[in-house]
Amino acid sequence: MNKTSMISLGFLVVMGVFPFFADSAWLAVGITFLVFSVVAFSQDIILGRAGAFHMGHAAFFGLGAYTTAILNTQYGWPILATWAPAVIIPVAVALITTAPIIHLRGDYLLVTTIGINIIFLQVLENNLFGITGGPNGIFGIDVVTVFGFELFDQIYMYYMAFILLGITLFIMRTLDGSKFGRAMFYINKDDVAAQSMGIDIRYYKLYAFAIGAGLAGAAGSMFVVQYSAVSPEAFDVMQSIMFFTIVLVGGSASLPGVLLGTFVMFVLPEIFREFETARYLVFGLAMILTMILRPRGIWPVKFGNIPAFLKKGKK
Amino acid sequence: MDIFLQQIVNGLTIGSLYALVALGYTMVYGVMKLINFAHGDLVALSAFAGLTIYTSIFADGGTSIVAVITVFMFTAAVIAVVGVLLERLAYRPLRTAPRLSAVVSALGAGLVIQNAIMLIWGPNMKIFPSHLFPSDIYHFGGIVITFTQLMILIFSSVLMIALYLFINKTKMGTAIRAVAIDQDAAKLMGINVNKIIMIIFIIGSGLGAVAGLFIGIYYRGITFDMGWMYGLNAFVAAIIGGIGNIPGAMFGGLILGLFNALISGYISSAWAETFTFMLLIVVLIFRPTGILGEKVAEKV
Repeated sequence: MNKTSMISLGFLVVMGVFPFFADSAWLAVGITFLVFSVVAFSQDIILGRAGAFHMGHAAFFGLGAYTTAILNTQYGWPILATWAPAVIIPVAVALITTAPIIHLRGDYLLVTTIGINIIFLQVLENNLFGITGGPNGIFGIDVVTVFGFELFDQIYMYYMAFILLGITLFIMRTLDGSKFGRAMFYINKDDVAAQSMGIDIRYYKLYAFAIGAGLAGAAGSMFVVQYSAVSPEAFDVMQSIMFFTIVLVGGSASLPGVLLGTFVMFVLPEIFREFETARYLVFGLAMILTMILRPRGIWPVKFGNIPAFLKKGKK
Repeated sequence: MDIFLQQIVNGLTIGSLYALVALGYTMVYGVMKLINFAHGDLVALSAFAGLTIYTSIFADGGTSIVAVITVFMFTAAVIAVVGVLLERLAYRPLRTAPRLSAVVSALGAGLVIQNAIMLIWGPNMKIFPSHLFPSDIYHFGGIVITFTQLMILIFSSVLMIALYLFINKTKMGTAIRAVAIDQDAAKLMGINVNKIIMIIFIIGSGLGAVAGLFIGIYYRGITFDMGWMYGLNAFVAAIIGGIGNIPGAMFGGLILGLFNALISGYISSAWAETFTFMLLIVVLIFRPTGILGEKVAEKV
């Protein structure tokens, strides 16, 4: 058993027993951490692995949330039944919106993905088709019901989010060892060389956006059930900037790095709530300092000459 | 037809402001290949600083050409110093770091400035005095131009022409263009790259400061978080025109201003940003480096 799996196992055990030692306020923080770390991983697939500068991830997160909220409150679907559309719709929208812009380089892609987020936000606020609830959002979303049994307690929410994070980590590990993961690795290292080796950059980048949007949508669906309400400001560009920053502050393409980034960006602010007004000032200073001191993130991924997953017989 | 012409005038006014801000983005991007996300917040800071400078120097509320010029010069100087500090503290240490690290640092710097404004001036909207410029109104046929609009149009055109001449006709301008093309080669030719970058931040922040003051005088209401949206619009304008290209930023700003005014006038202002980004995507599909941007072959 190597060091990485020791750390992962330790993390999963700690997170697994966390609810037994936490009161309800801390349990809520725990759920938020789990949900946002799933979103952070999905951002990492696009930004850290595929190397696409993507700063509009809150749109896909929000799309999952609103899909669940709208289907549940307007059409009376049970929450469980909305999980599939909450994944499929963000994937479809991600493919449709990014297909025309996926060839754009670096900063051009960054600004157009901010644009996707802003367009999504204006659709919500202007109440397009009259189903989004406008600036107030949607209230009174049901709890998850399994065989007539209502999972209303927070602890159920926690374990549902925990399972979603487990699935996400499993997907991340599987990706690493797959053809997709290898292609991503080459594209990120040198896209021109990758293209000349016959790797279809466009296909793999769209693939990354699809997986990222799907996971973010699933997390959004969790998010909406936790708060039983949803409103547009939870998915503004500031939120996208947060997800973008988590990956780079933590360490892109690094599993512990992204978890650490989520902890630093979402859990620490909860702990320092007293400094309400000066919070974001400190936050900004911390972003600058982190980047100056650790330009590759707090816990960067260690690339040798050959990444471990490419070595034969060694996984 | 009068309404259309009136929207054109309004659009040109907003467009000149976008162009002034876009110049700051495009100059920094041209030399450092960095989106200076804090630039929009500098514009907001300038509006607040200008208001404070005006009320503290001219407490009697008197207005004269001297007062207005003093406020503009003073504010531009203050913002230029902040811009230079910004580069020194947040960007220079990251010049050799991965590109995205500098982007995060810029986002952090934007947050710091925006929240510093909130802590100093408070979270509520501040109102600019209405008598900074005379409230004269000129009629041309059916269209109306206010004195403020006229000043914005004239003053920003003068600044843009001056900048264009400075970049293209002076020795310093040639040095700036050389650094934009190849920093290492420029260094070998004896150009002090740090000094050039400092000058770029002085000019960019100074132009942003002028835009910020005009925004305050024209719209009157200023909020601590207004910089983000102006900054984003201006950056989109710079990309539409062709980023790194100075006439491109002016052109892009005017185009976007006109487009915004026509959308707000004929469709709906609630969808303004949606149309802005649709325009951006359409432009980038047909011209991946912007309208005036040159096609650059990728070096391998």
